Amino acid sequence: MVNMLIVLFGLTMLYMAATSRIKAHIKMLSIQGLILFLILFLDEDKTNLINLIFLSIETLLVKTILIPLFLTRILNKNEVFRDNEPHIPNFYSLVIASIMLFAGFMISSLHGQGFENVTALYFGVSISTILISLFLITTRKKILTHVIGYIMMENGIFLLSLSVAKEMPVIVSMGVLLDIFIAVFILGFLINKINTAFDELNICELCNLKDCDCND
Amino acid sequence: MIEVILIFPLIACLILFFIKSKKLNDFALISYSIFHLFISITLYLKKINLEISTTKLFGAYFSIDSLNILFLLILSVIFAGVAFYNKSYFKNTDRSDKAHTYYSIAILLFIFSMTGTILSANLALSWVFIEATTLASAYLIYFNKTKHALEAAWKYVFICSIGIALAFVGIILLSIGTGSINSLFFNDLYINAGKIVPFWLKLSFVFILVGFGTKMGLAPVHAWLPDAHSEAPSPVSALLSATLLNSAFLIILRFYKLMELTHLDHFAKILLVSMGLLSLFVTAVFVFNINNYKRMLAYSSIENMGIIAIGIAVGGLGIYAAMLHLLAHSLIKSSFFLTAGNILKQFKIKKISEISGILKQDKPTGWLWIACFVGIAGIPPSPLFLSEFLLLKAMIERDQIPLAIIFAILLTIIIFGIGKSVIKMSFGDVYKHENIVNKLSLGMYIPQIVFITASLILGICVPAFINQIINNAALAVSIT
Repeated sequence: MVNMLIVLFGLTMLYMAATSRIKAHIKMLSIQGLILFLILFLDEDKTNLINLIFLSIETLLVKTILIPLFLTRILNKNEVFRDNEPHIPNFYSLVIASIMLFAGFMISSLHGQGFENVTALYFGVSISTILISLFLITTRKKILTHVIGYIMMENGIFLLSLSVAKEMPVIVSMGVLLDIFIAVFILGFLINKINTAFDELNICELCNLKDCDCND
Repeated sequence: MIEVILIFPLIACLILFFIKSKKLNDFALISYSIFHLFISITLYLKKINLEISTTKLFGAYFSIDSLNILFLLILSVIFAGVAFYNKSYFKNTDRSDKAHTYYSIAILLFIFSMTGTILSANLALSWVFIEATTLASAYLIYFNKTKHALEAAWKYVFICSIGIALAFVGIILLSIGTGSINSLFFNDLYINAGKIVPFWLKLSFVFILVGFGTKMGLAPVHAWLPDAHSEAPSPVSALLSATLLNSAFLIILRFYKLMELTHLDHFAKILLVSMGLLSLFVTAVFVFNINNYKRMLAYSSIENMGIIAIGIAVGGLGIYAAMLHLLAHSLIKSSFFLTAGNILKQFKIKKISEISGILKQDKPTGWLWIACFVGIAGIPPSPLFLSEFLLLKAMIERDQIPLAIIFAILLTIIIFGIGKSVIKMSFGDVYKHENIVNKLSLGMYIPQIVFITASLILGICVPAFINQIINNAALAVSIT
């Protein structure tokens, strides 16, 4: 069951790579949050109650509901619905993402010294998630997609931290959550500002600071 | 009493948020800076008297040892200077009370998170605080609210967040490798270093170096640095350059010690040297044709971080040189940025090609500008001369002569690049500008004069107690 969920998590990444509608991206983020919650619920040992409750809140409340809602609000406010003309066409990015996911599965079939502390499938899928999100950030042009890529990467890292047999102290995971939450909030705030200052929410607009003479 | 250093800014922020008065903002900043300095000195004295290597605060999450006391003292001194400068900097501006309040709150949070980074004894906790520095300083960079400031702030938050996320991957990889040691406290890691699986440790060092290296400004992950430093208000640039980069470096340093204890330091040294040399190279290439003096100073920060990274990698005497370099660079670079603030205030322009005759326009600023250049270029009596000389000596001692030659050549190019611009700006006649401000208040000169004098003393003869602090810090890093 858990393995199936993890594979599903990997598949959401493929969908992300294939589509250019930002609404669909946000939906996928929400689904990823839900999958993470289910994985946590099915897999985590229930000995440390405080940690479990905290992590459930993090996945269910923050990752599944709050962040997608916030992004949808930004989306509607700024009226960017599609990420047109990425640097690499969607079809090819799907191919590349599939290769990365496949590589992740290959990694998870590795068994060597030191791998006894990590659940292999988690590890492989989370590494490929991080790689795919970095790849998507570099190939897409809309600023909002970049933020979505960043959150995907954080989801991947969350999955990676689940792969380790031991857990972080609550104070640390609280700090991590707080930081990421504020980061998303600040990025959203900046997106709104960029939309008013520049005409388009395109990354190509943000190229005025250079080391040549044309700079101010 | 010591815990107050972390609680004070949070309470102050709340009060400032509700009252929103410029006078109170300045008062809060200055009183916190004095308080910060006072506590740091107390901690330092206490440590000497008790002769123990660590003092624990807040349970075990924060501690003082002979390594981070150096960083804490640097932070306190620089912050004190910047807080005084800041008051005069905003004296005759038409900023609203609200904007000024948010600015002060952001500075308080920024200092708070840097203090937390420096004091924290847990790797994951220092991650949390480093990410907090990014978030706290985002508003500071955006403060001027121009298009350029917006762009710089976006790049800063985004690039640093990605970098720091990669550092977190490094932390998780480390905790895979540590196996039965269920702790990320540096001391526990040091004690149980032998049990860590080398493969995971190496992998995690790469991620940690790239992640925190982003924050430290090492090439090739330095992209945010010139933009952010040039667009932020000058006091903020000074803080970013002189204290933020150091705090990120401290974490790399602590992790490097772990690499040494597990005898993987050869691997770590190769990475540090290559990133350091690349930083020097990038600076040498870009500083040559640059036309924005604040960007030029930002590149110089990248260069100096590169030198420090190389110093750590060379080892032995090199570590002492790196620590001395760290201290001296913070003093000189912060006064350089603050002086750049004076120039920007007077000429209202950031282009090197359109500024000339600072000495005729305003003597003290001009002389400070030249003095800062002498300092940063490492011309005696600058303390950077001492550290760079020691570093070269360490390289030659260890038979790394090709490295020494490349290092010296790149430094020469950089000094020429910066010197060309500084001399062009300082001498000659003033170009006609419409809105040149003539008078600056005294508070905009004193911090720089104090910093430069301090570094001059440091360059002529390192005082015994400072020498001891640097030496202890260097000993804390190297295990041999």
